[in-house]
Amino acid sequence: MNAFRRMLRSDSLGLALVVLLGGAALSIARPEFLTAYNIDVILVGFCLTVIYALGQGVIIAIGHMNLALGATGCLVAVSFGGAMQVWGLPVWAAVIFGLLIGMFCGFVNGWLTHKSGLTSFIITLATMSIFKGISLGITEAQPFYGVAESVKAFGSDRWGPLPETLLVALPIVIGLAVFLGRMIPGRQMLAFGGNPSAAELSGISRARMVILAHTLSGLLAAIAGMMSVARLQLASPAIGDEWLIASFAAPVIGGAVLSGGHLSVLGTCLGVLIVSLINQALVMLAVDPFYVQVLLGALILGAVGLNRLRESRMGNAPVLRLS
Amino acid sequence: MAALNTVQTPSPRPGERDAASAASRRLSGIFGSNLVGLLIAIAVFVLLFGFFANGFLSKVNLYSISRSIGIDGVIGLAMMTVLVTGGLNLGLGAIGVCSAMGVGWALQSLGLPIAVSMIFGVLLGAALGAVNGLIVVTTRLHSFVVTLATMSIFFGTMILLSGANGFNALPRVLTGFGRIRMYGVVSPLLLIMLLVAALLFYLYRYTALGREMLAAGANPFAAKLSGLPVERLFVCCHALCGGIGAIAGVMASLRNGAIVPSMAGPLGADWLLPAFLAPVLGGTLLTGGGVSVSGAVLGCVFVEIITRGLYMLQIGEFWIQTALGLVLLGAILLERGRAAMALQRSIGR
Amino acid sequence: MSRQVKSGLQVEVRGVSKAFVGVQALDNVNLTVGAGQIHALLGENGAGKSTLIKILTGVHQPDSGKVLLDGREMAFRTPREAIAAGIGVVHQERNLITRFSVAENITLEDPPTRFGLFDEAAAVAATRKWLDLLHLDTDPRTPVSRLSVAQVQLVEIAKALSLESRFLLLDEPTSSLTPHETGTLFAVLRRLAADGVTIVFVSHKLEEVFELCTHVTVLRDGRNACDSRPLAGMTRADVVRLMIGRDERAFAAPAIGTRSGPPALELRGVATGLGHKDITLQAHAGEILGLYGLVGAGRSELARAIIGAVPITAGEVRIDGKPERIRDVADAVRRLGIGYVSEDRKGDGLILAHDVAANIAATVWHRLGKFLGFVSDRMQNTTAAPFLTSLDIRTPSLAQRVGNLSGGNQQKVSVAKWLAAGSKVLIVDEPTVGIDIRSKAYLHDLILKLARDGAAVIVISSDMPELVMLADRIAVMKGFRLVDTFDNAREYTAASQRIMQAIHG
Repeated sequence: MNAFRRMLRSDSLGLALVVLLGGAALSIARPEFLTAYNIDVILVGFCLTVIYALGQGVIIAIGHMNLALGATGCLVAVSFGGAMQVWGLPVWAAVIFGLLIGMFCGFVNGWLTHKSGLTSFIITLATMSIFKGISLGITEAQPFYGVAESVKAFGSDRWGPLPETLLVALPIVIGLAVFLGRMIPGRQMLAFGGNPSAAELSGISRARMVILAHTLSGLLAAIAGMMSVARLQLASPAIGDEWLIASFAAPVIGGAVLSGGHLSVLGTCLGVLIVSLINQALVMLAVDPFYVQVLLGALILGAVGLNRLRESRMGNAPVLRLS
Repeated sequence: MAALNTVQTPSPRPGERDAASAASRRLSGIFGSNLVGLLIAIAVFVLLFGFFANGFLSKVNLYSISRSIGIDGVIGLAMMTVLVTGGLNLGLGAIGVCSAMGVGWALQSLGLPIAVSMIFGVLLGAALGAVNGLIVVTTRLHSFVVTLATMSIFFGTMILLSGANGFNALPRVLTGFGRIRMYGVVSPLLLIMLLVAALLFYLYRYTALGREMLAAGANPFAAKLSGLPVERLFVCCHALCGGIGAIAGVMASLRNGAIVPSMAGPLGADWLLPAFLAPVLGGTLLTGGGVSVSGAVLGCVFVEIITRGLYMLQIGEFWIQTALGLVLLGAILLERGRAAMALQRSIGR
Repeated sequence: MSRQVKSGLQVEVRGVSKAFVGVQALDNVNLTVGAGQIHALLGENGAGKSTLIKILTGVHQPDSGKVLLDGREMAFRTPREAIAAGIGVVHQERNLITRFSVAENITLEDPPTRFGLFDEAAAVAATRKWLDLLHLDTDPRTPVSRLSVAQVQLVEIAKALSLESRFLLLDEPTSSLTPHETGTLFAVLRRLAADGVTIVFVSHKLEEVFELCTHVTVLRDGRNACDSRPLAGMTRADVVRLMIGRDERAFAAPAIGTRSGPPALELRGVATGLGHKDITLQAHAGEILGLYGLVGAGRSELARAIIGAVPITAGEVRIDGKPERIRDVADAVRRLGIGYVSEDRKGDGLILAHDVAANIAATVWHRLGKFLGFVSDRMQNTTAAPFLTSLDIRTPSLAQRVGNLSGGNQQKVSVAKWLAAGSKVLIVDEPTVGIDIRSKAYLHDLILKLARDGAAVIVISSDMPELVMLADRIAVMKGFRLVDTFDNAREYTAASQRIMQAIHG
């Protein structure tokens, strides 16, 4: 009974309803929506988007932001491609190389943010430009085509009706949900996001939390970057260019609060689904793709407004404060 | 940005013995300020590039630098007006492009006179900025997420309305204006930037409105409790940002000789780096309430010299982006280091 | 108690000094607390108590001097190290993660795990034990954001107890508790002390100190006014003398306002968006109205409603007898001449990063700028300069940053801006918190003078002697309602009894 009431209060139920109703409405309006092809398109997109959305989500959870998310993914993608094409590394080694680069980028963001005491916005604006510049510089804006066959296969093969990339995305989603919900470092991260000074007085290290969150974000960006390589079948330096808006939209639609302290993994997944549903709907209704831009913007505004409202009802938002 | 961590200085409860240190502080204030540092850095790099980069001091190059300083300077000043509030405007580029497209529409589709079209464009930019401001003030959300959303909305709507088609039949007066060379090296765009800078300097230094904006940005709670109309002031700041962004959009179109929706990259995001580089290098506080108009201008000059110089050294344009990122990082870390040193000095007094 | 603490920690602080930007917060301070002792740490606001506590708990590091626990020298670099050494603390500021449940907060330092995962059931069980001890009947799964102020304070205390520390520091733990809850807490603390736990207790309420503690250390201006003396044999007056460095002030007898004609400010049955109900009060020109209440009684919130920062939802506001609607702060300040000196000087009273002149002139810029809003530095300085002398603001120049001034001078600046604005109704919220004694006396005189010069002054204060000394009438608030209003004869015992009666009766 208690669990049921808690579910009603949670962010996710309403979102799940939106996804279901939206899906139902679309399949009534366009019966061809429920074809295997369409569902496949949505799933493939979901696998990628959910990873980088969570990459932004863990940063939002501590009240920071990561503008360099896409640039990190890009740098990892071209390093991954370059390691295979230029250095001839085996796939497993190239993957490890990519993961390390991503974590290093995230670590640099976290370390600089912590050491300087500045907002992560300006730090990641600078590193965004650095990472992106390096990616463009080493590739001279040309993609690496020498991607290993196994990587290409991973990006295009199906496992029954499901894309193989789901085999990576699903464990990450579940792992992160357990990490934030039940594991001590994850709880500490959320505690830090909710009230940094209180967390510090309880013996939670500010440095460790900031660096942990940013490194985790870098790791997720790396995975998303390499998954993009598998999907595109080439390592393009344009990877990550379009992540920024969706990476904020999905967690925020899923109930994340930009001031930190709260991130719903399930909500973020539903947020990603809503975004891809809209995308797909507009494609099927043959609407100009730029409507997606407009709608996505409106969705972010609506979602943050709603979250703010709920926060102040729960007594988490300060009453007298201005902005 | 309240949510983000800023350095917590231990709450000062200073004694009344400031007088002695005030003089030394004033001295270190002059030499430690961004302005002198920037001037020195500019001089050093001009010498370096003049010496090593072939043709850096040629008239063609100086002219092109003056043109870039004009455009990027206005972009930086536009961002500065909203940094005053302690917020930011991610959608500055989108607003700039939308307003320029508005000017093109007024000129070409409506056939309005040039002056009227320009005024229309600036008002359009100011209106879009005001929309940002109104949303920020009424929802009390951080301007980052608000402008992230409106950037997408403004740009998308503009593309839908225009069908992604630019305006390339601009009146000859305009295209000619963008190509004027004064004394062989000065672009009129540079003069426009200086005019905007002068007006902003006047605003912040000599008007009640400017002073109230700074007070509201430095501490909105205190300003509000002092009876300042903080909400209205914030909307004004955002509208000002939009209006100046519109000017920048038109200036960029004059350089290109046409108004194209892609001139600032996807969603206008290409403006982001120059928009922050100039004011941040110039010492504008990201926490709000502190601006330096001359600092922003010098910051922009510095950035353009680095950009052009590296370009002339044939570094490859992609690496220049990396270099600019490093410059931004270096500048903010330097500023931090200096603040920390100043703190130590006053403790060890 | 689940575990018998074998021996409490003996805590010694020897010659500790600590300076912040330009301020000597602690100067050669000593403190000795024997094992199992309940030791009071007293001092006025800004005397250095909080700094000392932060040094003992690893938040700050001393510039010189030592902290010894059981004779061993400790140098905590982080709060974590202090916790590990057996120090538990209830800080003055609220330090809970409001989004987390009570159980998660209480087990935050050392969460119970099963297979590496957070074990909620174990956390709830552990938490319930500590809540029961304090007679707090709250479900440990409740998010802290849903608790009342008093419940939050009790949860903080339970959290400190749960560490089973051998040394417990409590900084103003009772500020929002009822006498009954305080009684429960004291019983627990006495039992802990009997078990050998060492306790340092900080409170403004001297009655509580005499009830609970055996020894006392008093700080004044960052130095020891007394070092670890037994309380037995000391009187309240002795302690007060140590705290303020002289006897409690002899009460001045200022002229009471004429109270002829309509009051400068009158509230009739006012209710606000924050939950005030049926507030009726009057403040006459030339009169000081004191507003007393415990933390959370809604005093500052009422002040914010009067200056238009919080909407008034019902009732009537009259200025000079005329019904007025307060639209927003700008309206209250500019049209109705109401001013508010905030209790949170650094947070929302002043713009610390801006200079003295700008802070004083901020309220009148719109009036200065006649032609195209032109305001020069000279015009601003002309406005601000007279107040440097008339209020005795000690600053090197008008261009000095307000953040570099002392607390007393900052407070004078935040009064000066209302004098510049020509406010007829002035609300002064906790005027002397964090201010040294000399400036305090000066501010008291200033407030009296303002009233004598014809302003209607409302003073909000938790400092009962201060209020009894200043106010012509005292209004008492409790739970966002006005519970009593009476003429104050400036007789401390009678007035304090009447106030306590109104609050607890």
